[in-house]
Amino acid sequence: MQLSTHTTPSGFLLPSIHSAPPFFTQQPNPATQAIVAEQWSKLILSYARFRNMFTLRVEDAEIPGGEWDEVLRNERINRRLLPAHLASLIADMVSKNLASYDPPNQTRSVLLWWRQPDEWAEVLYQWADSTGQMNTILTFYEILDPPVPSALSGIPITVLRRAVSILTKSQRAQIISVSDGEGVRFLSRNGK
Amino acid sequence: MGGNQSVPKVTAQDRAILDLKLQRDKVKQYQKKIQAVLDREYEIAKRQLAEGHKDRAVSTLRKRKYQESILHKTDAQLENLETLVSTIEFSLIQVSVMHGLKQGNEVLKQIHKELNIENVEKLLEETAEAREYQREIDEMLANTLTVEDEEAVQAELAALQGEQLGAGQKKTPVVFPPVPKTEPVASKPVVMEPRAEDQAASPERERVPVAA
Repeated sequence: MQLSTHTTPSGFLLPSIHSAPPFFTQQPNPATQAIVAEQWSKLILSYARFRNMFTLRVEDAEIPGGEWDEVLRNERINRRLLPAHLASLIADMVSKNLASYDPPNQTRSVLLWWRQPDEWAEVLYQWADSTGQMNTILTFYEILDPPVPSALSGIPITVLRRAVSILTKSQRAQIISVSDGEGVRFLSRNGK
Repeated sequence: MGGNQSVPKVTAQDRAILDLKLQRDKVKQYQKKIQAVLDREYEIAKRQLAEGHKDRAVSTLRKRKYQESILHKTDAQLENLETLVSTIEFSLIQVSVMHGLKQGNEVLKQIHKELNIENVEKLLEETAEAREYQREIDEMLANTLTVEDEEAVQAELAALQGEQLGAGQKKTPVVFPPVPKTEPVASKPVVMEPRAEDQAASPERERVPVAA
């Protein structure tokens, strides 16, 4: 059986394993299932990065025509990922720190870390540096929705908060809070 | 965090700026909301017109007009806020420029304090004195030598110079022609007695007139 890669209408290149029917089924053998889970998490993260998406819900497996449709479904071989299987894949990703339940205390929706929090922190810091916003007080809204689109446009505030808190630990950022909101100030590393 | 020395303190000024920016963000968000409502109302009016409810379409459009006027007002407010924010940021830069100038001035002053004219004069005087002193020592040393010593020194100098010259060009021994053993007879008239001279002169001497 010849498996081939497939380019989706949005331009994402699906790997050849996506055309293999067993890939969509939960495997009874734990070793096989581990490989399937690894391939799935790789696929999910790269698709999320490609589409700049951050959340994955179990119900995404049930909505035809949703934004995850291209990956969770393969009409050419008439297969789709069942919600139960997706839930177990999500649990696997959470245990590997590739995703985290967001909001916490539920298992239906996750935030995908296709960039690890410290990588986001680096991206954030680079952005502040390259746009000359060191030592300037910025609001979170201003970072998420800047006048000039950046790599950070539209990231969830949870991601931003994690990144900022990592930067505050290395004293590269400082959180300023007032009565009706919070702001952040980025500090140059060699500053006083 | 507050106890960290590497993190600057949050001043009241910082808070004020943040407050201002938060206000600005709120206005922006409000504008977004109104824009969404405007778009929606336009759709509604269109549908009502299509369904034949002209009155309702007019009233919807009136509402929409009102929202639009609010949007314009918020635009003006947003502009005010943004101007204020950028003015504050610019002023902060001006303050830091002032601070830089002040520090530079202070440093310059300090350097000048160390470099005052009196010190320079004193230093130059001292240098001159030291030079004079050195010259005196030289003289004194020269005077302590006796005449013989001085001669020996001069001889040594000459020898050194000679050596240097010798090193410069290879000395070839100067060969002088042998001293004539006979008395020169040039005073005698040559034309008168050529033979006598021929016999008397050395072979060397003989050749000279022939060559001439």
